Amino acid sequence: MDPIRQNLPVLLDGLRLTIQYSVVAIILMVVIGLIAALMRLSTVAPLRWIATAYVEIFRSTPLLVQLFFIVLGLPAILPVNQWFGQLTYPILAAAITLSLNEGAYVTEIIRAGILGVDRGQKEAAQSIAMNGFQTMRYIVLPQAFKRMIPPLVNQAAQTIKDTSLLAPVGIAELVYKGEIVIAETFASFAIWGLIAALYFVLIFSLSKFASYLERRLQVDKR
Amino acid sequence: MINVKDLHKSFGHNEILKGISTHVEEKEVVVVIGPSGSGKSTFLRCLNGLETATSGEIEIAGMTLTDPKTNIHTLRQHVGMVFQQFNLFKHLTILENVTIGPRKVKKVAQAQADKVARELLAKVGLVGKEASYPDELSGGQQQRVAIARSLAMGPNVMLFDEPTSALDPEMVGEVLQVMKTLAIEGMTMVVVTHEMGFAREVGHRVIFMDDGLIVEEGAPKSLFSDPQKDRTKGFLAKIL
Ligand SMILES: Nc1ncnc2c1ncn2[C@@H]1O[C@H](COP(=O)(O)OP(=O)(O)OP(=O)(O)O)[C@@H](O)[C@H]1O
Ligand SMILES: [Mg+2]
Repeated sequence: MDPIRQNLPVLLDGLRLTIQYSVVAIILMVVIGLIAALMRLSTVAPLRWIATAYVEIFRSTPLLVQLFFIVLGLPAILPVNQWFGQLTYPILAAAITLSLNEGAYVTEIIRAGILGVDRGQKEAAQSIAMNGFQTMRYIVLPQAFKRMIPPLVNQAAQTIKDTSLLAPVGIAELVYKGEIVIAETFASFAIWGLIAALYFVLIFSLSKFASYLERRLQVDKR
Repeated sequence: MINVKDLHKSFGHNEILKGISTHVEEKEVVVVIGPSGSGKSTFLRCLNGLETATSGEIEIAGMTLTDPKTNIHTLRQHVGMVFQQFNLFKHLTILENVTIGPRKVKKVAQAQADKVARELLAKVGLVGKEASYPDELSGGQQQRVAIARSLAMGPNVMLFDEPTSALDPEMVGEVLQVMKTLAIEGMTMVVVTHEMGFAREVGHRVIFMDDGLIVEEGAPKSLFSDPQKDRTKGFLAKIL
């Protein structure tokens, strides 16, 4: 029997889960990154400290360790499994940990994007009586956003790859399913090759879509 | 319209404004001159709260800027500012540059904001450029849009910080012409500039600043032809 054809549904199910975790993490990482970036640029010192601590902690420890610590370590001292449910907690914790980790990098991307906007733009907005929120929302962020697209797409690609680290903490996704299939079929070479190809298609289409988006924005608005 | 009492401004230990006191009447056009680094921009930026005064009192457009209870955003609706580098919003069209303040800050309906913006753009001589983006315009055109953008907020006072210094010489005139029209219409204006022709022709009063202080002030004619202080004489000798 052809091990690939026979197990393709299982692997595609894994791919579906990988895409789900990726989408959730990419959305959350942007939301978290935006909030933390604004905190890092805030005039309120405690907000800056909290955001800086968050970024440094998540960037200076391995994602795999973070996942083990929160998904498997935390239940050892807190009844989180009872609070959230035996099955839900690991999934929830893994998704959030992944998002927080990627969010730390996104924070720096967004912060740099905001700081890259010419100071005069902000002053002009202030001079026509815009408040801080309006200045950010209508003047600074739209200009920052365009220069943030390429690094954000990079980070999104990284996030897709990083979902593979959910397998070691027992979360079912593409790699996890792949390991199950290999344990049954011993078709190590074929299955890992197929898994790599699936990731490649996913990430390659993302970057193609991103460059299309970038070209569109270039034409519509400058 | 503007009343400044003993205004001090320091950046760290560096005192830039060392006690400025002056008064600007409604419809008066005051031209501020002085050597580079004398604090002209800092003075102007204090007048709309882009810089916070270290001490002293500023009353402008009927509000006390230096009172912490004053809402700075309300105050800025009445105080327009034009920058040396134009600072047009690069991601917005010319029309949007002019309408975004009224629409987002004053919550004016789009149709009404568009109408006013078109009138203002016509006034500064930019009909037909509504859909362009700032980087498609010449410096002189951009600066005229910047003036229209400020006017769209309906200010009582306009501040100009070297509005023609970043322009090619052939574009200086068109911007000065717009400013002159504004002055004739009765706008209260404080203008930092090196354009002595403009100061002489349009200015009601010239303030000479040096080293964070007002050294001398007076009507353009008398100040230019008969300066009293040595520092004023020295400065005028260099630029006239
Ligand atoms: N944000 C700031 N922080 C520190 N120092 C500043 C700041 N802004 C201005 N200065 C200093 O204040 C001094 C006066 O600057 P200002 O821009 O007001 O002078 P100016 O008279 O407008 O000069 P110019 O004709 O060159 O525009 C300068 O020495 C400048 O370095
Ligand atoms: Mg200056």
